[in-house]
Parts: sequence; C-alpha cells; structure tokens
Amino acid sequence: MSLKRMVVILVGFYCLMGVMPLFFGGTDYIMNILIMILIWAVVASCWDVIMGFAGIFSFGQVAFYVVGAYASAILSVSLHVPPVYAILLAAVITGLFGVLVGLPCLKLAGPYVALVTFAVHMTLVPFLRGPMGRAIGSGGAQGILTVPPVSLFGMTFSSEHLVPFFYLTLFLTIICTIILVLVIKSYWGTAFLALKDSENFAASLGISAFKYKLMVFGLTSFITGLFGALYAHYVGMLSTRMLSMDVFTILMIMIVIGGIGKYPGVVVGAVITVTLNQFLAPMGMYRPLIMGAIVVVLVLFLRDGLVNPIIRLISSRQKAGRTGEYLS
Amino acid sequence: MLKVDGLTKKFGELVAVNSLNFEVKEGQIYGIAGPNGAGKSTVYNLITGNYRYEGRIEFDGQDITGLPPYRIAKKGIARTFQVPEIFPSLNVQETIRVGSRFGARGGLDKKHSDEVLNFVGLEEERLQHAGLLNLLGKKKLMVGAALATKPKILMLDEPMAGSNAGEIADLMDLIKKINQQLGITVIIIEHFMKVLTELTETLLIIESGRMICCDRPEIVTSDPRVIESYLGDSYAEDK
Repeated sequence: MSLKRMVVILVGFYCLMGVMPLFFGGTDYIMNILIMILIWAVVASCWDVIMGFAGIFSFGQVAFYVVGAYASAILSVSLHVPPVYAILLAAVITGLFGVLVGLPCLKLAGPYVALVTFAVHMTLVPFLRGPMGRAIGSGGAQGILTVPPVSLFGMTFSSEHLVPFFYLTLFLTIICTIILVLVIKSYWGTAFLALKDSENFAASLGISAFKYKLMVFGLTSFITGLFGALYAHYVGMLSTRMLSMDVFTILMIMIVIGGIGKYPGVVVGAVITVTLNQFLAPMGMYRPLIMGAIVVVLVLFLRDGLVNPIIRLISSRQKAGRTGEYLS
Repeated sequence: MLKVDGLTKKFGELVAVNSLNFEVKEGQIYGIAGPNGAGKSTVYNLITGNYRYEGRIEFDGQDITGLPPYRIAKKGIARTFQVPEIFPSLNVQETIRVGSRFGARGGLDKKHSDEVLNFVGLEEERLQHAGLLNLLGKKKLMVGAALATKPKILMLDEPMAGSNAGEIADLMDLIKKINQQLGITVIIIEHFMKVLTELTETLLIIESGRMICCDRPEIVTSDPRVIESYLGDSYAEDK
C-alpha cells in the first residue's frame, strides 16, 4: 500500500478515535472497548510487521505482551519503581527478551520458528506459576493483584479514570504507529520484504539477515512489551490467563481480518475483532467457536483480509468513474 | 583477482568439492562447466559464503575465507542464481535499488540504479512487479540488482538455462557488455559449450568436485578426459 493511502487511513482512524470520548466518555463499557482497540491495534500491528513484512512466523507475540505486563508489574510492585519508569523498563526488558528469542530463530525457517516461539509462549505459564516465577514476584497461580496506576503530571491514569487513560493510550498508540509506518516505508522495511521473499538473493545483495531479523524481533517485542506493561497498569491485576489460547486466537483473527502483511488493515482488524469479542461475550462457550469459524471462513475465502478487497473495490470504481469522464 | 586454494566441501559422506584450485584474473570472462552434480553451483555457494568449507579464498588480495554472504557482496562479489531468485513484493526499480542501497559502498545511488535499469534493458518495466516478469526479464533483473552493488566480479549461474536462441543471443550480448563496457570480471557456469567457447577466455571443467582440466576453451574441448567425462564422443565428432 502506498504511504499516502496508509497515512490517510491511519489519520482518519485516529481522528475518529480521538473524538470518541466526546460521545462515549461517560459510558465505561464503551470506553473500555475503545482502550482495548487501541492497545490491540498496536500489538497486532507489531505481529503483522514481524510476520507479514519480515516473513518470520513468530508465535511469541502474546508471550512478549505478557512479559511486558509482568515485568512492569513486578518492577512497580516488588521493587517500587514508579509506574512510568516501570513501563519503559518493561519495554526494554521485553525488547531484549525478543532479541534473545530471535537468536535461535535465525537459523530456522517457517514452521520451526513458529514452534520455537510458541514453545516460549507455552513455557511462560509454568514459569510464572512455579517457584521461579514466585521468586521474582509473579505471584504464582494467584497472579499480581495490586498493580498501581500510572501517575503523571499530577494525574492518575487507570481503569477508574477511563478518559485520561484513553488519551494516554491514544498518544502512545500514535507514537508507535508513526514508528511502525516509518520502519515499513524505510529501507528497513525493504530489507524485511527482501528477506521474506528470498533470503539467499537478499544476502547476495548485501542484506544481513542476522541484523535485520534481530532488529525486527527487538523492535516489535519492545513495542508489544510497552503496551503489555500499559495494560497491566490499566487493569491493575495480572494472571497467567493472559496466556490462554483465547487471547492468541483473538490476536490472530485481527491479523486475518486485516490481511497478513497488508498494514494498516490489521488496525481495522483490531476494531472489528475487539468489538465482536465484546458483543459475543454473553454467548459464553459459543464465543470461541464463532471466532474460530470466522478464522476458517476468512482464510478460505478472503486471504487478503477484509480491508484490502474493499480498498481495491473503491479504487477500481474511482478509476472506472474517471475513465467514464474521459470517454464522455 | 580471485584465488581459490584447496577448496573442499563435504556434505556428510559426500565430497561435493574436492581440493579445488583455480585463479580468475581481472577483466576475464571465466567459464566453469561439468556434468550435472559436478559441484559447480556448490563452488559458487562456497565463494559467496553460503556454506562453511575447508580451504582458502582470496579476493583482491584479501582473505575472504569464512565471511558471510552479505559481507562478500559488499566486498564486490555479486552473483545470480540458476533458478531466478526475485523479490515478488518489490517492483523492478525497487529490486535494483536494494542492490544499490545494501550492497554498494556509499549506499543508495539512484542515478547509478537508473543507469543499471537502462543497461539491462528493463526501463519500460521499472514499475512492474518482479513476479510478473517473464523468465528473461527475471534473469535480467537478477543481473541488474547484482550490478547495482557495483561489483568487481559477477558470477552467473547457468544464465542461459531455459532460454530460446534469441534470448541466449540477447544474454550473451549483455554479458559481453558487462565485461567490456563496465570492466567487470565475469565467471559463468554454463552447459551450452557454444556460449562458453564464444565468451570465455579460460574454461574450468569439474567432475565430482575435482578439476579435470583448465585452459583455453579450444584446448579444453579437445581434451580426451573432458570428452570422455562430460562432452561425449558426439561433440568431438561434430566439432
């Protein structure tokens, strides 16, 4: 997608989101949905960058999110680090963790990367629940129940103060979106695409797979960790339920709806998925069934996601309209 | 310019390249031929750092043994692949610029990239997606991207494979231009002996990873060992 079209979609989306509290500021239920849309939009975007652009089938995105959340919670609860610094430190820790996970993946391809990264995801549950987790302050099976809210410039940002927290999240979301767009459209993005298409050819033209693959692991896990940490201070409590397949599936649906590697389609995917997930909540056990069915239908019939076919349709109609003008 | 000394590569029990020695002089077009599975492409993969190996490779007076592929590219050794490798996500111009941005010293040189685009004859397809090019277009694109790295040596792996007579003539002209106009040393792996005898000054024949013969093409093609193991009697009779 061209930079111009990408910017138009993103600016439109964030402007729309920015005015939402004017209408729904008093409705906690909707404000909560809007905050979660912003958080998941960035986390899913990071997954799209690593999987869709760099072609690395990392299934560690939820793990990075949880590492960020726990790191910030442990720093602020056990070590009494002020939440703002804890969030930033947690992002750095997650970034380093991402690089560490990326290292063994450098020699692997496709499904093997998925296996290694998903293994990291799977090992986090016993780690956080077990004695090692408890030793570092994870709270074991009970989790962490008293994560303090963010305080900045005399204001408190938490689930008790939804409008300020929404704008804090929006601010961070916009910053991270700008970073992601700049990366995608810079020579970094070109290197990611080249490595995804043909690693041998890319290397023969001077692209270091080592450097750029680690970069993408580091960057996406840093941003994901940042938003995981923000989430921890938003909800105030954490447990290993965050690592359930439910969360993983929801994140995957966002990407499938948006189209893998079709950024910023994934942002729209986050809006649809988070909203749908909330509205389907009363359906209980049938909700994951419906969500799973959506993935199957989309993969079978709309591999490019929902957003790109719509954009193509609009473009082709505009072109057809112009052709009609020339002919008349 | 490129000196290969005692190059050996084993894949388990299989010795793919066995104590190979050869030297390519600056400005040459140097040919490598041999039966299928002789180890020709493996030699390219070793020179460009795709595998670990025994032996020593010297380029431009520098020891490049064991360097990774991207660093070898930056040193000035460019290559193409037997089965065309392209970037389907990028268009022709972007692909050429990848070579310039990442492979050339001094980074992206848009003017040089555009010159390369014209040189390989892909100026009309500049905004076309690489995946939509025909086979000849894809081969030219690989050569263009390699040239954009401003190489000193260009290594071509069976560039004529799957081409018709007209395309072969077209590619031969391009290779001559690369060597004569740009002054780039060329190494070419090829099965078409007519192409090798017309283009190259020195021809290396390998079989089972070992050198059988290395000399001027007219001498190599008359060598009984080469006729017996690679060319066959019919080639000698036709000649």
